[in-house]
Amino acid sequence: MHFEVLAQCSTTKARISRMVITLLPTFMPVGTQAAIKGLTSQQMEDFGITLILNNTYHLNLRPGLKVLGEAGGAHLFQGWRKNLLTDSGGFQLVSLSQFTKITEDGALFASPFTGEPTLLTPEESISIQHTIGADIIMQLDDVVPSLTTGPRVEEATHRSIRWLDRCIAQHESKGQAKQNLFAIIQGGLDSKLRDICLDEMIKRKQSVAGYAIGGLSGGEAKGDCSSTCIARCTSKLPVDRPRYAMGVGFAEDLLVCVALGVDMADCVFPTRTARFGVALTFTGPLNLRLSRYSHDMDPIDIACPCPACQSGTSRALLHHNIGLETATAHAVTQHNVVFQARLMGAARDAILKGEFPGYLRSFFRTYYGETGYPRWVVDALQSVGVDLLEGIQDPKITNDDGKKWDYAQ
Amino acid sequence: MSTARSSFPPVPTLEFQLKSPSVWPKFSPRLGQLSVTRPGHDTPENRGGKVELLTPGLMASTTRGVIPHLTRDNVRRTPCVKWVHVPFESFLQVDPPIPTLQKSSYPLHTFLGFPPAQHLVSLSLRDPADGREMPPNGKLFAAAHSSRGARKVTCPAYRSYITATRPDIVFSMSDIPFNSPPHSQKRISKSIERSAQWLMSIFTPPNAPLVTEFQDRPTAGLASESISLAIQRLNVFVHMVGGIQPAARSAFAAALLEPLEPKEKQLVQLATLDEGVSGYVFDLVPIRVALVAERAETTASTRHPYHPSLSEVNGTVTESLASLIRASLQDLPVTKLRLVNTAYSPHEMLRLIRDAGVDLFDTYWAQQAANWGVALDFRFPVAPDQGRKQAATEQPKKYQVGHNLYEQQFAHDFTRLTDSLLDDLEYSKRQNDSAAASLHSGKSELAICSCAACSPTWSNDPLLHSTSDDTGIELGKRESASPYTRAYIHHLLHTHEMSAHALLVMHNLTVMDAFMCEVRAVLQRDHDLNSHSGSHGQGMATGSNALPGANGATFFATEVARFEQMYDDGLQVLAEAKVCWAEVDLARGKGRLARERAKASGA
Repeated sequence: MHFEVLAQCSTTKARISRMVITLLPTFMPVGTQAAIKGLTSQQMEDFGITLILNNTYHLNLRPGLKVLGEAGGAHLFQGWRKNLLTDSGGFQLVSLSQFTKITEDGALFASPFTGEPTLLTPEESISIQHTIGADIIMQLDDVVPSLTTGPRVEEATHRSIRWLDRCIAQHESKGQAKQNLFAIIQGGLDSKLRDICLDEMIKRKQSVAGYAIGGLSGGEAKGDCSSTCIARCTSKLPVDRPRYAMGVGFAEDLLVCVALGVDMADCVFPTRTARFGVALTFTGPLNLRLSRYSHDMDPIDIACPCPACQSGTSRALLHHNIGLETATAHAVTQHNVVFQARLMGAARDAILKGEFPGYLRSFFRTYYGETGYPRWVVDALQSVGVDLLEGIQDPKITNDDGKKWDYAQ
Repeated sequence: MSTARSSFPPVPTLEFQLKSPSVWPKFSPRLGQLSVTRPGHDTPENRGGKVELLTPGLMASTTRGVIPHLTRDNVRRTPCVKWVHVPFESFLQVDPPIPTLQKSSYPLHTFLGFPPAQHLVSLSLRDPADGREMPPNGKLFAAAHSSRGARKVTCPAYRSYITATRPDIVFSMSDIPFNSPPHSQKRISKSIERSAQWLMSIFTPPNAPLVTEFQDRPTAGLASESISLAIQRLNVFVHMVGGIQPAARSAFAAALLEPLEPKEKQLVQLATLDEGVSGYVFDLVPIRVALVAERAETTASTRHPYHPSLSEVNGTVTESLASLIRASLQDLPVTKLRLVNTAYSPHEMLRLIRDAGVDLFDTYWAQQAANWGVALDFRFPVAPDQGRKQAATEQPKKYQVGHNLYEQQFAHDFTRLTDSLLDDLEYSKRQNDSAAASLHSGKSELAICSCAACSPTWSNDPLLHSTSDDTGIELGKRESASPYTRAYIHHLLHTHEMSAHALLVMHNLTVMDAFMCEVRAVLQRDHDLNSHSGSHGQGMATGSNALPGANGATFFATEVARFEQMYDDGLQVLAEAKVCWAEVDLARGKGRLARERAKASGA
């Protein structure tokens, strides 16, 4: 797979690189069922998105492999001509856990629609992903919720390594060169297990096009846990392979991850929260359902190039229609997709110009200046040489996770 | 004498010109051209310009100010959408209504994102597709439906909304009863009286001083100090009331034509009410409800959203509708626009054009078809050999006007949405294919569906989020993409994905526009034939509605008959699709988790 690092931040571990046709670091919107909800492929391409995610588990159920095969793959099926990444179905082991039973063979799923059992083995997952035809495919990993402790985590770590080998075997025997397999580092929040997983999976480097850091974003605490874990992983992972943080979507998390050396991330958050009426901005989210927006004639963000903001769609109109008109859900979705892309685009420009620490400082001052900097963000960035609080008189620090919300007043 | 210069930009000029000679029978189909000219202004959003529409033509329906399922960029991708109709009532949930707060030369256009350069926006108080039971109107107010309940709207209030939002065309407030018919004679008389009175008040500028002279229509840049008040003549359409009683309809028309009292004349600067009217509107929902009640067959559907049953839309009903329309228009000038709301099939539209000379229709039924997963696909005129094939079979089953994409047969169907229209890619291919070119003399027999589902286009003009983003693209070069397939939309519908409806709305609106194009082309053939032939008086003398022709038949009437023979006018496909949609919605839509939990605990 074509991957080249174009420039490295001299302070943090961030870098700008090109992977196939996508510039990294980037955020990948999630189109679970072969569509970004409410939007067409033409719209997504016009928003400047070049890489989206489809979900293997869901596509395997509907429309199913026969249809996808006849269509010539998921790209052609949904009319998307840029890059596609499929995840293996591993996350559904956790999210749909009431339906699953894990064995060494694979994961036994009961279909949530028909109750019919399906065994998802590593070989089967890769085979399905071959039919789907995404540019980047993921190994099937044994995922445990990040807050789980005990022997199950160790079992999952070692099994994920074994499953990686089976995925590699399947992919190398049956796969096409244009599809690129990523490994997923597991190990929960246990640094020893993570190290074991890292060492083993790095040994398979020649058969692996990139590394994902999985098993996080399960509600664990930000500070001692996920960002430390990510830092540990990125410090060991080879620099000539893209690093993918799975399930990361909040702006603050994305930028910290990029500073720690992560190149890509996906999350349903921006698109899902849009449908619930929450628009993302550089000062925090706007909950358009709140009555304070009922007479607000400004667009979500006057500087935003999305079609909704460019045409001056007022917060008042969005407030009037959210939850009642699908077109409004689509408008906020467009905005949030573009917001995420702008966030990462500005990061890329800053890294290229050698100004990434400055970008971090200015973004976080706008974002957290009023409400207070979460300690975990300050510490994480400190660890890569960026002092967010430099030059700020009496900085406000908080001890929470820093998740911003828009409250009724 | 005070110089009161208008503080608002002048109302756009509405012009409607009939192509067909006005000596033709009053209710024969006619071709026309509608234009709205905006006076030049300095604001970029209103830089002069004209919006033009050919008739018979279409207007798009909106709910809460949006074309359902379409974001603004998708409206731009559907350029056939020009006229957009906005019922104001949904905005009454707060006071003052939000659109009135928009600062702009064209507040309603700006608030809703329909640029004046591309769109004509009309405003009515009520949603023409809303037939639900309402509290009774009063002498001085109409009951309107907002999401927070019924609101009483007075004429001055309505007038103030118009002044604040400046739509291009305004439908006057009318007293149409929305409670169970039959309506008494007294009620109908009240309806006529009030509607005329409310029309009068639309023409009355608020706080207008009395003027002693008849003023000409003001033009932009008035500076003359001798004109004491520039009266802004709104472009007003009026609902033709009178229910299902021809006599009542005639009475309303008479009220429009009645010479005004001197005082009234001075106030509104019109000799008759009709003089201030630019178009006549017929809302079919309340008429159908009343017709069905009269026949006491079934209770008409007043459920919301409006979906008439078979008994409400068949040929007999359309005939009654046409005769009621004619009763209203009999004595009124032919030169004004005739607009019908919620005609519920292409058949009904064709019949109303043929029998009542209707000029404009809303696309409500086509938009609703998209809500339920139906992709429209029909040809008018019917293909020459299609007719022959039908005749050959013994028991010809009628075609449906579209496809219910929920059906299993589409799961593996990788063709585009229509058989009756081509997609851009295939059209180009046919043009390039020399063999085909010689066969069809270089012209494709089928037209293209240029919608964003059948002929999607890559703009190659993406947002660039960082300076290194643009490599590898030939910026700005538009490229045709493959059509979205029936299999894909089938999948989207079954997985409860909203993009299905966005694609189907863009498609159905485009098919309807192509349909109207063809209707106009056929009417043009009649027009050309008859403008070459001799006397036109025959039609008038015999009182028939047909234009003179070989045997009195017209191309149009012939094609309508063939269409009726070919396609099912009961829209079976819509009824079936609605059932499928409801099933998926129950399984995957709002409230699903609660239902699943209940099912699990109950089991």
